[in-house]
Amino acid sequence: MKRTGLVYDERYLLHVTGGYHPESPARLEAIYKRLEESGLLAQLTRIEVAKANQRWIEAVHTIRYIMKFDEACISGINEFEHPDNAICRDTYEIAFLAVGGVLKAIDAVMKGEVDNAFCAIRPPGHHAEVDKPMGFCYFNNVAIGARYLQKEYGIERVGIIDFDVHHGNGTQHIFDRDSTVLYYSIHEHPSFAYPGTGREFEMGIGEGDGYTINSPVLPGRGDDEYKRLMMQDLVPAFKKFNPEFILLSAGFDAHESDMMSGTNLSTGGYDFISEVIVNLANRCTGGRVVSVLEGGYNLDVLPLLVENHIKFLADLK
Amino acid sequence: MFVSERMSKDLVTAGPDMTIFEAKKLMTERDIRHLPVVDAAGKLLGIVTDRDIRDAMPSTLVKKVDYDLTLAKITNYPIGDIMTRNPLTIYAYYTIQDSLLMMQKKKVGALPVIDQEGYLKGILSTSDLLKAFVNIMNIDEPGCLLCIIVKEKQGQMKKIVDIITEEKISLGSVLVARVWDKEKRAIFPYLLTNNVINVKKKLLDAGFELIDPMKWYLDQLPQKLKK
Repeated sequence: MKRTGLVYDERYLLHVTGGYHPESPARLEAIYKRLEESGLLAQLTRIEVAKANQRWIEAVHTIRYIMKFDEACISGINEFEHPDNAICRDTYEIAFLAVGGVLKAIDAVMKGEVDNAFCAIRPPGHHAEVDKPMGFCYFNNVAIGARYLQKEYGIERVGIIDFDVHHGNGTQHIFDRDSTVLYYSIHEHPSFAYPGTGREFEMGIGEGDGYTINSPVLPGRGDDEYKRLMMQDLVPAFKKFNPEFILLSAGFDAHESDMMSGTNLSTGGYDFISEVIVNLANRCTGGRVVSVLEGGYNLDVLPLLVENHIKFLADLK
Repeated sequence: MFVSERMSKDLVTAGPDMTIFEAKKLMTERDIRHLPVVDAAGKLLGIVTDRDIRDAMPSTLVKKVDYDLTLAKITNYPIGDIMTRNPLTIYAYYTIQDSLLMMQKKKVGALPVIDQEGYLKGILSTSDLLKAFVNIMNIDEPGCLLCIIVKEKQGQMKKIVDIITEEKISLGSVLVARVWDKEKRAIFPYLLTNNVINVKKKLLDAGFELIDPMKWYLDQLPQKLKK
């Protein structure tokens, strides 16, 4: 068994999106309850959360944008630039805690306190652009984590694997001119699904050419297509790039029972994803992975999928 | 949607005395395939396409010496000799739909836009139309595509739009297509949101049939092939 860390904090529930919004506090409550009841929680190392220092957020986002976000929350309005992005007065603080959770998880792995970690955090991050909130995301947790690894720990090559059903436009754009971060995303095809980016021909720009890889999945294709694309696009590229650390944008909304998408991935399909990633990490990074929650909206299956995913990280499955 | 909003106004033009050599260079530099030819006052005289220029060139199969000799002779001819005179033209107040149909029927790649007196005002090319199409469909904005199967009867679209409006979702575009069942239509709303769960539920509750847009495509496929 591996020592797997868990980032979770009750304060993550304070980002209230209104009873009707799918990105709700109930998601994390359901995950935590399941981990508790299944006994998995007791086998994980709890990582204490602290607010991120703003300078790490500034490593990705503009100060102007950070201030605009702060003002939107203070003013008491309930959406930030688009109805998708529901906010409350606490959202700004909680978004700092979400980033902070990822940074603490990275610390724990880098200091050898745990082998890998899962961050059950919200709000999610992979749609957030340098200066724009999008698709329920405000700060790009994973992108900030990658910059933190490079600047704080001198890690040269960071691999990001994004298996949320939506393309991580924010993460891609933040690193698309960067050859030190390899971004791989597998997602529902952009002609059908939000946010309409992540086509095969988006492969990075300038120096970053070749360091962005997208595997769009047509609706209804499911497990076989995921397996085929990951073996064909992800595995060889990561072996070649040989990252020193892997960050995951872990979204569980590609599941067949999640109404957010039409990709039809089964529970077993998710197991395959986790297994491939853990094997890649064992080979390239000495097992160093920090997995960060993004989407996943069906409260009946999300907790099970997260539990399975953590079991693969902990070498219990 | 009018031609005036979509045509290129940043015009590259030539006089009829420009040599073929100069025209070829100009078109390569400015990355254009259609060069309107105008008189000194700006009245349209004709149009030269990259194909007209290629047709005027010597065959690449002839011997190098002969090729160079012929080329030297040809490239100093004025484009007035090879241009299409009185080309198909449109007016700025024509609609994009008119232009689409015209370009499809007449098989031309670009249409010069003139005013009543014949002065050149712009040019509308297939790439302008592609841009217009991306814009009309709003696919350069983040959103997702639904496919709703409805019975062919009045008021269906209203119900759908009402539900989308209730959910405060902006509509990027709507396409309507035929389906395998003659009594039904497939409606494809492109919704500018990531949040599709509630709107999907409401559509289902209202009795609409939601299908995977891919399924529509795949079901159409064999019928297309049969034809």
